[in-house]
Amino acid sequence: MTVKECYELMGADYEGVMGRLRTEERVKKFLLKVLNDKSYDLLIDSIEGGNAEEAFRAAHTMKGVCQNLSLTPLYESASALSEVLRDQKEFGADLEPALAKVKEDYAQMTAHIKALEEE
Amino acid sequence: MSQRESGNIRKKILIVDDSEINRSLLSDMLSDEYEILEAEHGMEACAILHNQEQEIALMLLDIVMPVMDGFETLAAMNKNGWIKSIPVIMISAETVPTYVDRAYDLGVKDYISRPFDERTVRRRVVNTLILFAKQKELEHMVTEQIMEKEKGNKLMIEILSNIVEFRNGESGLHVLHIRILTELFLRSLLEKTDKYDISSRDIPVVCNASALHDIGKIVIPESILNKPGRLTNEEFAIMKTHSAEGAKILQGIPMREDMPLLRIAYQICRWHHERYDGRGYPDGLKGDEIPIVAQVVALADVYDALTSKRAYKDAFSHEKAVNMILNGECGTFNPLLLECLKDIEGTLEQEFKELSESRDSQEEIMDTVEQMLEGGELSVSEHSLRLLEHERMKYQFFATLSHEIQFEYTKTPEMLILSEWGANYLEMPETILTPREARFGTEVFNKSDFEQLLAELEATTSEEPMTEETYLLNINGQGRWSKVIARSMWSEDEPPEYTGAIGKIVDIHDDMEKMNRLELRAAHDSLTGLLNHKAAKAQISEILAADEEQKYILLVFDLDHFKTANDTYGHLFGDEVLKYVAETLKKSTRDGDICARMGGDEFLVFMPYKEQMEPQVNRIFGLLCSDYKEFRVSVSIGVACAKDCGRDYDTLFHMADEALYEAKRKGRNTYCFYEGEQKE
Repeated sequence: MTVKECYELMGADYEGVMGRLRTEERVKKFLLKVLNDKSYDLLIDSIEGGNAEEAFRAAHTMKGVCQNLSLTPLYESASALSEVLRDQKEFGADLEPALAKVKEDYAQMTAHIKALEEE
Repeated sequence: MSQRESGNIRKKILIVDDSEINRSLLSDMLSDEYEILEAEHGMEACAILHNQEQEIALMLLDIVMPVMDGFETLAAMNKNGWIKSIPVIMISAETVPTYVDRAYDLGVKDYISRPFDERTVRRRVVNTLILFAKQKELEHMVTEQIMEKEKGNKLMIEILSNIVEFRNGESGLHVLHIRILTELFLRSLLEKTDKYDISSRDIPVVCNASALHDIGKIVIPESILNKPGRLTNEEFAIMKTHSAEGAKILQGIPMREDMPLLRIAYQICRWHHERYDGRGYPDGLKGDEIPIVAQVVALADVYDALTSKRAYKDAFSHEKAVNMILNGECGTFNPLLLECLKDIEGTLEQEFKELSESRDSQEEIMDTVEQMLEGGELSVSEHSLRLLEHERMKYQFFATLSHEIQFEYTKTPEMLILSEWGANYLEMPETILTPREARFGTEVFNKSDFEQLLAELEATTSEEPMTEETYLLNINGQGRWSKVIARSMWSEDEPPEYTGAIGKIVDIHDDMEKMNRLELRAAHDSLTGLLNHKAAKAQISEILAADEEQKYILLVFDLDHFKTANDTYGHLFGDEVLKYVAETLKKSTRDGDICARMGGDEFLVFMPYKEQMEPQVNRIFGLLCSDYKEFRVSVSIGVACAKDCGRDYDTLFHMADEALYEAKRKGRNTYCFYEGEQKE
């Protein structure tokens, strides 16, 4: 699988990331790094631990990382989630659907990246 | 060669972002041309800035971060002045205008929004660096130029005024004194009032101008100027022209009327012999018709004349001179200025003592630079940076030699920076964030000790910033007595704000131990290891003073026929007997009891009792009376009860001694209790 095919499978913006980061080698290097990024785990842990502030930061960081790599689906859902969490002390009813979407996109995205890594 | 001077060393960029991927993405884009430092949040960034402010060329800063976010970081950079030396580019996915505005307000130079585009990132970094470098270069040029000009001005003025003084037969010190007095009076005056059209930034100019006050003496014939005796009326009239003549000289300088130095010097020259009551010369101006700078120099001139030796008089003491002026013996002055004189009276003498001619020029230049910095027009010049670097090197060198743990504590953000040697010694990093929570504040120091130290530092004032305390520290698992000597640091604000502290930790454990051992040795009898009489007396007196019930007895005894043991078996044997008795005593008393050898074969025991005294006395008597080798040990004991002594040791001892005498009188080998004054 090429990086381009991986991006297409994820529904992410290959042209966009290549335009900014310039080389496929670099895109791949950072794409694989996403698997080791701790923000997702931190997000889940913070929500379970009831720490809204930390959860916001984690979602925000995920959003930033995805944006840099043009990982559009997770960027959008993480973006929506961080708006839900922004300046909140407690979790509201709108958390669940936004979180579910992030979980779904994250699972899908990492599955594809892992497939790329294993080749 | 320093990094700044060499072109081929890569500039350092500090990337502050909580996401490792984002940091390395930026680093990847920039690392071919720059050296990259990374920090995970603002606190780490501050620690790096604190140590390497001079080396960092640019900073990329994220907003949303744990521990210390981007805005807090910018606030800290403003507070510490780092924002002036390091351009910051904000990076964030946040595009809310309020965020952007706030960032610019806090001194951010540019903004890069996510997603990162390699070309944009590189371009922005380069642009910001170039702009900043240009600005620095300009500032630097201006600073150096102004310094050159100031130096030149001052030199010319010094030459000029020295010519006058030389001719006048005075030492060059007069001009220096006038300068210092003028400055002190002006500073004090500005604290009191703003009614005069003069500000602290004018002070250097006024001081320079003050040096020219007697320039008009150049036209006075030397025969009058240096006449040893009193001047005739005619001569005095000529002498008096020097003020107007001086002003004329200055006025004659073409095209320079608008220069502040000349304008002020003119006022000083012409009117420094005017009097507040209108009885001065040359114009008879009165009160505040006399320009304030001339009033100040007039007062300075009088004070210096009084305290200096002249051909016609001795030097008066500082106190005498101040009193004479305040009492109106030397003319009338502006009451406000007299207030100023009273205010600075205490420091004046000291200032003069510290004065040395060489020190002055250097100080002037530093003052000028300081003035400009305060004005905010200019940043630190390259020259001052080199001075700073030099100081830092010196500091590090001495810090390494001294084998002391030196530290620097800053309050916001709270961190502690150890000297290199100290960090190695404690096996800790040099920079410790939130030291109250770190091992430094919880293990090396006992937590409450550390809190106490910090509280104590914060409780000091900028006038008395020193503090000194001894703590038992845990140094790599070993308890060590250590002395902490520190001074608090304060901002330049009015009132000054506590910003942190510097200090050192000196290991005094071995000294303390030695001291304790010496004290121990001084208190004990070297032969038997028992206390000596002096130490026993001190301890017993303490108990007598403090104890409620006074249920104690004092036993005083000596060995019967001890002289025989010495005479028959020799002194070495005698010593053995004494040691044997001491051992027996140690064994037959408890820890709280006090046993001592008073000297020779005399001993004492001080012990508490519960109900009765006699059984205890009897037991000790029984134990002491025993055989040591060939010698039959027997003792005579006198006993006194503490209740009857009125808490006074000497009385108690005297009573026990009386009882001992009684025991001896009864034929020795027995004990007696004190029962009131014995009859002869």
